[in-house]
Amino acid sequence: MRGVLFAFLGGAFITLQGVANARISQDIGTWQTATITQLTGFIMALLIFLFVRDGNLQMFKKVKPYYLVGGAFAAIIIFSNISAIHRIGVTLTISAVLIAQLGLTFIIDIKGWFGMVKQQMKLPQFIGIGMMVVGVIILGL
Amino acid sequence: MVVGLILALVAGSLVGLQNIFNSKVNEHTGSWASTTLVLGMGFLASLTMGLIVEGGNLFNIQNMQLWYWFSGLIGVGVVTCILNGIKSLGPTYAISIVLTSQLSFALLWDSLGWFGLEQVPFTFQQLLGVLVIAGGIIVYKFGGRTVETGEQL
Repeated sequence: MRGVLFAFLGGAFITLQGVANARISQDIGTWQTATITQLTGFIMALLIFLFVRDGNLQMFKKVKPYYLVGGAFAAIIIFSNISAIHRIGVTLTISAVLIAQLGLTFIIDIKGWFGMVKQQMKLPQFIGIGMMVVGVIILGL
Repeated sequence: MVVGLILALVAGSLVGLQNIFNSKVNEHTGSWASTTLVLGMGFLASLTMGLIVEGGNLFNIQNMQLWYWFSGLIGVGVVTCILNGIKSLGPTYAISIVLTSQLSFALLWDSLGWFGLEQVPFTFQQLLGVLVIAGGIIVYKFGGRTVETGEQL
C-alpha cells in the first residue's frame, strides 16, 4: 500500500511540475522558468547527495560519456511541455507526452538500441499503444 | 492545435530517451548521485539555451514570486516517490500507477483551472479519453512480455 501511495504521488507531482512551470512561465518567461527550476532542483538534490553520498567520480567514469549528458534534454523537454500546455491544455499535453514516451521506449526495446535487452513485443503491447492513440484522438476531437 | 501536439510529442520522445540515459547512469551510481547530475545538466542546458534565445534578458525576472524559487523541489519529490514506488512494487506495477495518476491529475487540473491556467471545462468525452488511455497503459504494461523491463520513468 505504501508503494501504491508513492507511485500515485509521483504521478501527481509530475503533473504538478508541468502545471507549475506553465504558470511560472507566464510571469518570467519559459527559458527563465526552465533555468530556475532546474537550478533549485539541482541544489536540493546536491544537498541530499552530500548527505547520502551514494556515488563518486570512479562510478561515473564507468558510464559511457554520452549517457552522462542525458539530463541536458530537460531544456527542450521543459520548453516544449510549457508551450504545449499553453496551446492545448494539460490533459492533451500529458496524453501526447505519454504516448510519445511509451512509443519511443517501445521501438528502442524492440530494436535493442542503447544496449537495452531486446524485448519481444506481443499483441497486448500493440493493442495498448493503439488504445492510447484512440484515447488521444477522443480527447482532441 | 497541431503545433501544441507536435511540441508535446517532442517532449515525450525526449523524456523516453532521457529515462534510458538516466537509467544507464543509475546502473553505476546511486539514485541521488545520478539525480544530481541529471538536474545539473538540465540547468546548464537551460541556461545555455536561455542565453542563446534571450541573451541578457534571461536574467530579467521582475515578476518573480517567492514560491517560484521552490518549484524545482517538486522534481526531487518526483524522484523520491518513483524510486520508492518501484522499490516496493516493481517497475511494471509502479509505472502503470504513476502514468495513470499523472493523467487523472491532468484532467482534474484542466477542469479546475487552478494556478490561473486557462480552464478546460470537464466533459464526459475527456473522461472517456483518459480512461481509454489509462486502459491502454495497463494493457501495455501487464500484457505478458518475455522479460520484465527495468525501465524507469
